[in-house]
Amino acid sequence: MNPDKNINEEKLSEQLQRLLTSIEASGRAVLPKSNDVLLKSIVDAAARIFGAAAASILLVNEEEEVLEFKVSTGEADHDLVGTKFPYDRGIAGYVFMTGQPIATSNVREDKRFNQDFAKSTGYVPDSILATPLILTDDRIIGVMEVLDKIDATSFNMHDMELMGMFAQQAAMAIDMSQQIDSIEQALIRGLKRLAKEDKTQDSSDLKSALDHALTGENRTTDLLELADLFNDISGLGEAERKACIQVLTTFAEYRKSTSAPRRFSK
Amino acid sequence: MTEEETLRPAWSQHFTPDAIQELLAHGPFAKITPDWAWGGSTGKGIRVAVVDSGVEYDHPALEGCVQGGVVVEYDAKAKDNYRIKADEKPLDVSGHGTACAGIIHSIAPEAEIYSVRVLGRNMGGRAIQFAAGLDWTIENDMQVVNLSLSTSLEEFFGLFHDLTDQAYFKNMNLISAVNNIPEPSYPSLYSSVISVAAHDGHDPFTYYYNPNPPVEFGAPGIDVEVAWNKGQYLVCTGNSFAAPHITGITALIRAKHPELTPFQIKTVLLACAANTKRQSK
Repeated sequence: MNPDKNINEEKLSEQLQRLLTSIEASGRAVLPKSNDVLLKSIVDAAARIFGAAAASILLVNEEEEVLEFKVSTGEADHDLVGTKFPYDRGIAGYVFMTGQPIATSNVREDKRFNQDFAKSTGYVPDSILATPLILTDDRIIGVMEVLDKIDATSFNMHDMELMGMFAQQAAMAIDMSQQIDSIEQALIRGLKRLAKEDKTQDSSDLKSALDHALTGENRTTDLLELADLFNDISGLGEAERKACIQVLTTFAEYRKSTSAPRRFSK
Repeated sequence: MTEEETLRPAWSQHFTPDAIQELLAHGPFAKITPDWAWGGSTGKGIRVAVVDSGVEYDHPALEGCVQGGVVVEYDAKAKDNYRIKADEKPLDVSGHGTACAGIIHSIAPEAEIYSVRVLGRNMGGRAIQFAAGLDWTIENDMQVVNLSLSTSLEEFFGLFHDLTDQAYFKNMNLISAVNNIPEPSYPSLYSSVISVAAHDGHDPFTYYYNPNPPVEFGAPGIDVEVAWNKGQYLVCTGNSFAAPHITGITALIRAKHPELTPFQIKTVLLACAANTKRQSK
């Protein structure tokens, strides 16, 4: 038995308990996921900057090999969200395959634009500027489109190049946000394992709080709910954030101090 | 610097009407005129490869100028991660390659066009497919190659540099569209290629030289009516559509002056640019 490990565990338990209590006390406001808020702010800004009547973002779903509408603003609006189509269909598909933006006018004659689909949404734009969301490693995570230039018949080269720069920033922000989501989920999974392995320690609000959060019918939903809690932390006061950092640091130290296979020592 | 100047995009800025610099051609260079360079030429017999999404061989705008081609596919198990298949009656998976071929054909109607399809659904293999397609054009004696594609992957800098040098030493002209996104991309930034951005004119033979490279030439690429796959026509904007104008003109020059080397052709292009004034001394 290693006394240091026990100290670490106690510290971790205590801090998690304090953290979870403070989160509970603050109430679980149903906030949208940070990623969605980010995407919405990006399309709103894009429509405004490029003088477009509408804008949308499609992100890659690699498992299904589709592009999926994640957010849209303006006339096209919310009906689009969640719609998927294969990589090689539509203007977005073209931009995704080539990694190059394209501006096209008279979209009604453009078969790359998925006509049936556009008609089903009741919105067929006259002009489109579509730009890939490219990361610095050349990986394309999606496509951003602005639709219907308000004061001209088409988007111009200037729009295209500026939107390229804008899309790079957007891609980085989206990627970072997605990574944070992944880290949160990984952390939650780690915490879950930790709680399960802690068989003997009489436990504590930490275990019950985690159990409470983790024993729902749908494991994924619960994990996401717990991820929400972490999102909420960013909106709490400085003291809570500091506590959170401390907890994370302790967690990391704990991981470092234990050798594989990782177990609680008794 | 004004706000407008600060915001001006990186690549096409050299070709806006107030940014175009007037250049002077002196001495023997002043004798090089468009009429001398390509007057009466149809690009007859020049082999032009379009490395892109494929070229729709039976599109009416192409009038049967497509002589065949290949498809380059990504294959993680194959040597160098790609496979090449013959493509006698090429298709175009998007329309982009057909657009480029259509522009080239409209300028050099008797040039032979070869489709080198390097786009597919595997995104991870894009740069490899592109490099392999370019390699195929070098190995198969293409004379002019249109590259309305590029990669910004640093790890491919060396490979593309090597390929473009090989092409240069084989007397090939590679015409490369600069990225539509103002960031470095290869091979458009190498001096062994002819790099092209878009200007907003519509006369196919009016192009400009930029004395402040890396982007060397500006050709029509804004609201250009182009052929597209499945027999369609579209109005499109992008540097992709500027490069094929210079590709077509290069094919004309090469057909009329087969003795010229790639660097001489670049000189002829500069001498015939719309912003070059001839001055005999």
